[in-house]
Amino acid sequence: MTTISIEGVSRSFGTLAAVRSVSLTVENGELFTLLGPSGCGKTTLLRMIAGFCDLDSGTIRFDGEPIDRLPPHRRNIGMVFQNFAVFPNLTAAGNVAYGLRARGIAAAEIERRVAQALRLVHLDGMSERWPHQLSGGQLQRVAIARAVVIEPRVLLLDEPLSNLDAKLRVEMRGEIRGLVKSLAITAVYVTHDQEEALAMSDRIAVMRAGVIEQVAPPAVIYRHPATVFVAEFMGTTNLLAGVVRRHEGEIVIVSASGHEFAIANRRPLGAALQFSLRPEALRLIDARDAVPAEWHRLSARLGRIELLGALARFEAVVGDGLRLQVAVLDAPLEALTQGSDITLAYDPRRVTVFATP
Amino acid sequence: MIPIAPRQRFPLLVTGVAAMFLGLFLVYPLWKVFGASFFDGSGTHFTLRNYLRLATSSFYRSSVLNSLTIGALATLAATALAVPFAVAVARIEFRDNAALVALASLPLVLPSFVSAYALVLLFGRAGVVTRAAQGLGIPLGSIYGAPGIILVYAFTLFPYVLLPTIAGLKAIDQSLEEAAQNLGASRLRVLSTVTLPLAFPAILSGALLVFIDTLENFGVPFVLAEDKPILAVEAFKLFVGETGQNPAAAGVLGVMLVLCTSLVLLLQRRYLGRRRFATAARQPPPPFDVSPAVRLLATLYCWSVVALALIPFVAAVVVSFLEFRGPVLHFHASLGNFAELWRRAARPLENTLLLSLLAAVATVVLGVPIGYAVTRFRSPLTGLLDILATIPFAVAGTVLGIGFILAFNAGPLVLTGGWLIMVLAYTVRKLPFGVRAASAILHQIDPSLEEASISLGVSPLMTFLRLTVPLMLGGIVGGMVLTWVTVASELSSTIVLYSGPWQTLTVVMFQALEGTGAGTAAAAASLLIVLTLLPVALIFRLLRRYELSMM
Repeated sequence: MTTISIEGVSRSFGTLAAVRSVSLTVENGELFTLLGPSGCGKTTLLRMIAGFCDLDSGTIRFDGEPIDRLPPHRRNIGMVFQNFAVFPNLTAAGNVAYGLRARGIAAAEIERRVAQALRLVHLDGMSERWPHQLSGGQLQRVAIARAVVIEPRVLLLDEPLSNLDAKLRVEMRGEIRGLVKSLAITAVYVTHDQEEALAMSDRIAVMRAGVIEQVAPPAVIYRHPATVFVAEFMGTTNLLAGVVRRHEGEIVIVSASGHEFAIANRRPLGAALQFSLRPEALRLIDARDAVPAEWHRLSARLGRIELLGALARFEAVVGDGLRLQVAVLDAPLEALTQGSDITLAYDPRRVTVFATP
Repeated sequence: MIPIAPRQRFPLLVTGVAAMFLGLFLVYPLWKVFGASFFDGSGTHFTLRNYLRLATSSFYRSSVLNSLTIGALATLAATALAVPFAVAVARIEFRDNAALVALASLPLVLPSFVSAYALVLLFGRAGVVTRAAQGLGIPLGSIYGAPGIILVYAFTLFPYVLLPTIAGLKAIDQSLEEAAQNLGASRLRVLSTVTLPLAFPAILSGALLVFIDTLENFGVPFVLAEDKPILAVEAFKLFVGETGQNPAAAGVLGVMLVLCTSLVLLLQRRYLGRRRFATAARQPPPPFDVSPAVRLLATLYCWSVVALALIPFVAAVVVSFLEFRGPVLHFHASLGNFAELWRRAARPLENTLLLSLLAAVATVVLGVPIGYAVTRFRSPLTGLLDILATIPFAVAGTVLGIGFILAFNAGPLVLTGGWLIMVLAYTVRKLPFGVRAASAILHQIDPSLEEASISLGVSPLMTFLRLTVPLMLGGIVGGMVLTWVTVASELSSTIVLYSGPWQTLTVVMFQALEGTGAGTAAAAASLLIVLTLLPVALIFRLLRRYELSMM
């Protein structure tokens, strides 16, 4: 039961500032994700919490008490590594017992807790297996059992799914979230996979170049990105820049790339702005279809089509060359051919506006 | 005072201990050699006369020149032997490539001066083959001087090039060769424009090892050089000189020797530092699809090289069981040589076993933490440590021995005349290998294993002892046995440092060579060969089992 406060933490490696004055709070029992492209500083930040990376400045506290001067082996943190780091010279049970032995716990108690932890990760019956006899997914489970069995104050997970195949990854992320939530443990999860972050987290911090761009729950991060970077990093989007031409009630009409877009916003006339329109916010409609009155319509020609199974992505060419990304679930594919005329509509409230830098 | 973060304590401690050890037992003795070369006989007045004398004496000038030319030619010869061998082993499937490589690497652990001695026994003035040839009226060229030395170096040192080249060739990703073929290059063109250039850094690093070894080798030129002056031998002769010791001149030659080896080492580091072709092979290239004729030729070539490299050692063993009368060999089987050896060398044998064991343990105890600090805690400090631990490699055994005598014969720390000084010299000499071996194993152990252990509550020190060391065990035992074996056949610093009761087997052999005890020398040589091969064969089996259990 721990609240982690990170206060003004920085670290540079030579001339590279890996983490720049980062402050954030991870609430008690929260599954918190650090998300960003490689080299953004998320792993450095995680390793600072673990104690494997020294701080140049700032403080990290657990429940108010500073821990950044504590050596890593006295922090009582469970950590799950990207490559599992299962000790090859110990059995599954030996791996899970390792931290308990270090704590001088009685043998009978160790045996009981190891069995319980292995049951928790569905590895009962595998306790005497050697690591080389286990699959990637099973190794991952051993690593998780080993980290949680010591009843750590905080659980840290460093891209734990990146070494698993796609199907197992989806399965394991649900399982990890279930486990963390059932143990009510404070967990910090590092990943570069936005889908994984959205699926698992209570809150997400998106990082770029050592700085936090936005901290928010997944729905807010996706629907209301605070910066252009967040909008682009969290999936595909249409990013446009324009100028406010006129007001229509609660809506402003913006001219961008020679076309007019309706946005639910109150910027003054002549204001320059940047906005993001998600591909799935654009609906493919029949020209005669009725849509809510405040929705905005666009006529376009169909460009390149990309079928992804349930979802189809395609390009809509508006006017003489503006290309918009559109994503449609269950699209009428047979009726669509490249070059045919289409009509798109969207809700102006689904447009996110950024301050022009 | 700046507070030291806990994570820096371990490398700091290791660097401190290593710096103290190497400072006292490497830098200080070398400094004494250096100093001796710059002072006159009384040791108080600075002078350049010693260097002047070297520059004006054609004898000493030619000793520098001889060392360098013989070294360069031997390096070329060893490389020429090794590269085709490596290509064949790496890319042609023979019946047993592993056995071929194992046999080919044997000369690395066998004492090279035994090979030189065997050459004398066979082709020397009173040699078996020479006399047989004379009987038949066939004139044979002399093997003394440069030709013999180069021959011995080429066949005993070629594995230094062979092993890294095989590794280099196997580290090339298949796709690179396929890309070249796809672009229209023929098989031979691929070999000459892609494969060999990519393996070149490996070839070069091996060749430089050969060159350094030839410069500092004492035993081979001692046996074969006769009147030809060679740096490592002349430095020794000047130091123990029959006509009175001359530490100043010995110092000058020592400094020249260290200068040459350091220069080579420096060149190697600079060149290889800039050229890294690590292609991290996901798929090593497939074996060549060769015609039976080519395969036969390659097989013949490889086995001939191995046979030529090992024949001298076999010959030494065979000869040791024959009867000698003075230097003349008679073809009667006899254990007389061994009886004589036993009479003279029971104690030296004991010394050899004991001293090399102590040195091997010390090398591991010192080398493993240094290797750990250098590999796991990268910083300017450990970079320095890495360089410091490489220096002994550039110091010829004779020079280190002379330095030890100069440094520890008087003053606050007197070590001469005992066993400790020998163990210390051995430890310093073998330390680079200990460090290399340790960091090579550590590169294969993922650091996150240690982090996992630490985050589970085990302190870094206990993690090192309870997790890292067990994981390294196979490699550590292997490295220890190899150190043990190479120290057992160490001659160059032993010959300077031994005293009274602390003779070793190599000293006995050396003395027998100088005198008329050819039979004893042969017996000592074959005993050394057995002493070397037995533990190596043993760890080969042991390590294989260990690795299988870890798989």
